Amino acid sequence: MKLLTHNMLTSHVRGVRPGGGFPLRIQATEVKVNNVDFNQEFVARMIPKVEWGALVEAAESLGHLSDLPHELPPEYENNEDFLRKVHHVLLEVEVMEGILKCPDSGREFPITKGIPNMLLSEEET
Amino acid sequence: MEKEASQLEKDHVHSVYEKIAPHFHDARYKAWPKVQQFLSDQDPGSLIADIGCGNGKYLHINSQTYKLGCDYCFPLVESARNDGHEVMVCHSLCLPYRNECFDAVLSIAVIHHFSTKERRVRAIKEMARTLRVGGQMMIYVWAMEQKRRKFEKQDVFVPWNPSPPSWTLSNTCSRGIQKSINQKDKRLALDQHSPKLAGTLKVHRQARSSSFVGEKETTHNLFEKSLRWSLFSRSLDSILDLSNQWHQRELSTFSNGNIQLDELNRGKLFEKIRQGGFIKHISNLSLHVKQQLKIDYHPKQSAFHQLQNRRKTDSSLQDTNNYCSMATWNKQPQRSPNGACLRYYHVFKEGELVELIEHHVPELHVIHSYFDHANWCVIAEKIHVWKI
Repeated sequence: MKLLTHNMLTSHVRGVRPGGGFPLRIQATEVKVNNVDFNQEFVARMIPKVEWGALVEAAESLGHLSDLPHELPPEYENNEDFLRKVHHVLLEVEVMEGILKCPDSGREFPITKGIPNMLLSEEET
Repeated sequence: MEKEASQLEKDHVHSVYEKIAPHFHDARYKAWPKVQQFLSDQDPGSLIADIGCGNGKYLHINSQTYKLGCDYCFPLVESARNDGHEVMVCHSLCLPYRNECFDAVLSIAVIHHFSTKERRVRAIKEMARTLRVGGQMMIYVWAMEQKRRKFEKQDVFVPWNPSPPSWTLSNTCSRGIQKSINQKDKRLALDQHSPKLAGTLKVHRQARSSSFVGEKETTHNLFEKSLRWSLFSRSLDSILDLSNQWHQRELSTFSNGNIQLDELNRGKLFEKIRQGGFIKHISNLSLHVKQQLKIDYHPKQSAFHQLQNRRKTDSSLQDTNNYCSMATWNKQPQRSPNGACLRYYHVFKEGELVELIEHHVPELHVIHSYFDHANWCVIAEKIHVWKI
């Protein structure tokens, strides 16, 4: 599970208040770092679609924040240095084993071989 | 109703896909061109969800976009993961995604597995929820109206054919089988020198050798059934597979070999089923033949319905006006003796998918609808719904 993927994920456990299931807290037991080709335009276009605070929090929890800022800098589109850091965090860091935890309900979703299992039981939906 | 619907889907969608997942890397499951086109048309930097991605056959298209696949079937998701895709396991009635996070959403051959209209609407609404305003969704579902076959009902069970007859076998005809076919039924005129037929005959021989056959079974009947079966189930799965060499070879064999799948031969098969002899043999049969004997979609006289009538179940499947009309559906889901490989489908009539969206999903606006080989297809755009 890459951090770009994680940024889209939320818990829908019954009873969780609106928005309360995001972002899922990551407890990783195995993290992999890959080399992914850098595509500046792709990263620049992806940034507005991402919840920036959640991305930073997730990267930090995995120890991969490095010096990524907590606030989005203005006019980042041409800032290659910045975009490379974002690229690394979005696409190169992968959680292979671990748990995603709903911040509201505490419900845990396992990640196995890089695959999150987001299934809820019928009672939970 | 909800519980029965969910159980039917568990038995005849989820567990089937789990069993057949290892076979899904077959070359016949290729991406359909218009779906490929839809994906290629998305802007660079788009976030795209493939809901019900299966083994991920669409996830590699358009590397300028980021695709997330999800499916209920663990083995298929693992397979997609092994190809390097970002995938997860979830249920499409409860997607684990934030609202309006995707630029595009795919639903290819998924919605037709939901057993009630209400669930089908919910599935579409749930996908629409994750789509941003202005984003587009593409939905493909199996059509009731197909060129090669006509479904009698909209709610059907379709067996999955593990593999087509192998065509890569020797070119020499088996004389013994050839002779027996000619003796048994002169109506079946076979081209003795056709190498393609040789392959078919060998397959038939292989099928025979798995010792399922009742004594009354003739070589000719098996051969015919085997081909008819393979053709039927393939016609549903991969008739659109434009590069499907097997399918094309098969068609040319039929015309070369003058094989008569006529009323009389079919009548023989139904007669046997009526005698009940086959039913007893079912538990001894290999999976391949189980599929052949259990259901036979003859346009006029379906053995499937014969079996249903024997069990005195309600074979009328009305799911039109009643929003939650599972009640008139069989009380008991159809099970093959080992419970395997009968997939449930609600095949869609012309206009049904569009009507479903227009009447029940106001947040989607249908911009294009068409028939793509054996599927009804819709491209719809997410719009703002103003609530007063």
